[in-house]
Amino acid sequence: MDGDRTTPWQPTVIAGPKHGMLVTPAIAKMMLKKAKNPLFVIGPLIKDDDGLISLCKNIVEAWNLPVVATGNIYKSLTENGIKSKRYGTIEIVNLLKDPEWKGINSEGQHDLVLFIGVTYYLASQGLSSLKHFAPHLKTVTLCKYFHSNADASFPNMSDSEWTNYLEKMSKI
Amino acid sequence: MTYKKMDKKLDNDFWKTKNLSLTIGEVSIGKPKQELDEPMGPTPKPSVTDLRSWDFKLLKRYPPFYAPFCDMCCLCTYGKCDLLGKKGACGIDAEAQQARTVLLASCIGTAAHAGHGRHMLHHVIKEKGKDFPIDMGKNIDIEAPIIRTIIGKKPVTVSDLDESLSYVEEQLSHLLSACHTGQEGNALDFESKALHAGMMDDLAREVADITQIVAYDMPRGDGDEPLVELGLGTVDKDKPVVLCIGHNVAPGAEILDYVEDNDLYEDVEICGICCTAIDITRYNQAAKVIGPLSKQMKFIRSGVSDVIVVDEQCVRTDVLEEAKRNGAVVIATTDKMCLGLSDMTKEDPELIINELVNGKIDGALILEPKKVGKVAVEVAKKIAKRRESLKCLPDISEIPEIAKECTECGWCVRVCPNNRPIMDAVTSAAKGDLKKLADLYEYDMCYTCGRCEEECERNLPLVSFITKAGDHFVKNQKFKMRAGRGPVQDVEIRKVGGPIVLGDIPGVVAFVGCSNFPNGGIEIAKMAEELLKRSYIVVATGCSAMSIGEYVDEDGLTLYEKYEGIFDASGLANIGSCVSNAHISGACIKIANIFAKKPLSGNFEEVADYILNRVGTCGVAWGAFSQKAAAIAAGVNRWGIPAVLGPHSSKYRRLYLGRIDKEEMWDLNDLRTGETVKGEPAPEHLLYAAETMEEALVSTVKMCIRPNDTPKGRQLKLSNYIDLYKKYFGELPPDLELFVRTERDIPITHKKEVMDDLTSKNWTPREAPKEPSLLERK
Repeated sequence: MDGDRTTPWQPTVIAGPKHGMLVTPAIAKMMLKKAKNPLFVIGPLIKDDDGLISLCKNIVEAWNLPVVATGNIYKSLTENGIKSKRYGTIEIVNLLKDPEWKGINSEGQHDLVLFIGVTYYLASQGLSSLKHFAPHLKTVTLCKYFHSNADASFPNMSDSEWTNYLEKMSKI
Repeated sequence: MTYKKMDKKLDNDFWKTKNLSLTIGEVSIGKPKQELDEPMGPTPKPSVTDLRSWDFKLLKRYPPFYAPFCDMCCLCTYGKCDLLGKKGACGIDAEAQQARTVLLASCIGTAAHAGHGRHMLHHVIKEKGKDFPIDMGKNIDIEAPIIRTIIGKKPVTVSDLDESLSYVEEQLSHLLSACHTGQEGNALDFESKALHAGMMDDLAREVADITQIVAYDMPRGDGDEPLVELGLGTVDKDKPVVLCIGHNVAPGAEILDYVEDNDLYEDVEICGICCTAIDITRYNQAAKVIGPLSKQMKFIRSGVSDVIVVDEQCVRTDVLEEAKRNGAVVIATTDKMCLGLSDMTKEDPELIINELVNGKIDGALILEPKKVGKVAVEVAKKIAKRRESLKCLPDISEIPEIAKECTECGWCVRVCPNNRPIMDAVTSAAKGDLKKLADLYEYDMCYTCGRCEEECERNLPLVSFITKAGDHFVKNQKFKMRAGRGPVQDVEIRKVGGPIVLGDIPGVVAFVGCSNFPNGGIEIAKMAEELLKRSYIVVATGCSAMSIGEYVDEDGLTLYEKYEGIFDASGLANIGSCVSNAHISGACIKIANIFAKKPLSGNFEEVADYILNRVGTCGVAWGAFSQKAAAIAAGVNRWGIPAVLGPHSSKYRRLYLGRIDKEEMWDLNDLRTGETVKGEPAPEHLLYAAETMEEALVSTVKMCIRPNDTPKGRQLKLSNYIDLYKKYFGELPPDLELFVRTERDIPITHKKEVMDDLTSKNWTPREAPKEPSLLERK
């Protein structure tokens, strides 16, 4: 792999003048601290990786995050002790667009949404939708790949570096 | 070996004098009556805005969801304009721009089907005359449900189809013009126009398929059409091979006629990819189906075809370049795709053959199908022998050596539309393990678009690697698929219309569209199998129908061999090619007419409202990628038929989504009482993109629920929804209280746990509407 960090993982998803900001765990945690009603969206790409699910569980518990499970990961999360609500990626993005939506815990619309494990091209489209039509919230991706349509994203990186990033995310 | 060979000559019945028609210009003497024996409804030949009120009812319930590809508009010289939180120089905003793009895509798709239909109609009128009758067989009285509803007439001869097609072309001009800078400015109005384009697409497809059915005597809805051969292993590589790619059957039919007329069945192989493959086997079962669109690059690269005949739509635009790599000849056959080739239409066939065989030209444009038939077969016969050694694929033993050149830069994966693990497969191959390459081949996990090769910094022939490794493992794979049957017969509708509307049959699920599947074609086959086991009626068309045929169980049987081709519970009906999708909408329209006695003529709104609220059907376009698929989806949506798409379909930029948390969205009018009543999210969405197969399957069965279900029908539908939800997500669905109206709706096998769930949510029973509708009571 080359050292490229902030070209979108699928380079053709570049959408225009506004490009997501690269964040380290330290900055992502600052965003989380500032958020009043954050949400964690976990997608099916980590379904078969117990290590990654465990890292996500640590993040959920450390920050007391409400969780949405997309695709077919709901059962895996339940089996691993992560309580979540199931929505399709498109469905949750559609709800997040609506400033009047009550949020998954009926505490009002979320102001920060973390994503991990959503199919890359689908996530990119969903993030584009939120970029255009949900100015009331910020998006952060914790995936191994850079997402230019997010407000903030981890860079493209190796598995070991990603694991390190996720471990840091679980330490407040 | 005997083949079913259709009579392609003029039928003697044609000359019977009973309905003899003499046509002079537009004046017809003694022409059979076109008018239908029912009152004309409010919207015959509707204009772009005539059905706007219906569209707005749909759009209020299912507001458009936009996911822009791009922040900018790049259409005119005002721009580029950045639309992120801003308006463009012309005043357009991001929502309207996305909707405009969807309209544009729908117009392109509709134009592709209409152009195809126009070619077909011209060809048939030229060959068989304007008054060639439309005879759909003794079991089909409603020969053209879409034409009847939209145009308000019964087509009697092929020339009557011209009126429908001219109307489509006129509407298409208006719709396309709305995309021009400085015209429509409202997203919902763009959406209404996109739905209108979709309806035009439905009409164009019906014209195209009826034309080819009557002209080529294709099957007219028989559920017991024979099984045809499918798969790369069915082709005898030692014979001259002619490959047809595209959607227009005319050249392929002439090739088969030439083979038959010259008694060459044992000497030449005729095969096809994409819809042309389905249509040539509807015409003559001597032809073989290589497979869906995703087989295209693989098969061309394999070097097996001597002559590649391309017609229109979904053909690789670099087909000539690819063919030249292994000395194959390309014949282009329509004005849609000339490929820079010399127009040889008027030349003597012998001269064309000579020039192609001697390599003076790489290919030819021949716009006369009959001439294509002779040239393609004769060229294949003459060059096959010398091409035996012209295989551009690396030898399987060479792959590990070449693979060692991989620098592991990873860009092959990053540019792959599906992020396939290509680099891993190549690095494994470098160590002598070709299994991962073969895995990419099987079930079209890699659909060989070739973007990885374009990106490879070492110019490694990655598609050839996959093709060779896969071919080595699967070359003997031979499958069976049922030949495309065409429309659903009226007699079948009489039998199942009631059970579908009342919910005794849990649903009709249509697997349609392209093969851009997220995880290989096997997923679509598995979804079909699950539904067949649960007594759904499953219909399939196009590439999806072919992919279903590539999956075998432990006994080596395909679903087509295990399930009948009937339109009934647990039937798996291959309807035909992409244009045959019209018969799926047509079946729903027939239910409204035959079962519920709804008049069709000019009565779109009432028929669509009936389908939306009562006919438990759902489309699944798991691998949809083209503009035609966008138009097809818009078409079925306007009829009130929901569709579940694959995750790639988020790239269409627009979906139609309901909101279960907004109760007011689901209010219905009960036409029996005239009251507005609380409804339910049935169907929940009109157009939805799922991320995984499991999500798609659960969404599909849920989207077969309709307000009109009887308690028994609702029990059956909820039973499937609960079973599948528990299977994939491990617990009861979280929204059962929305669908259980009274205790009688609860499936007996789940009664206690559902009641417990409902009690915990303070559920109270409610009345089901007797005649649910979005329309006002008249």
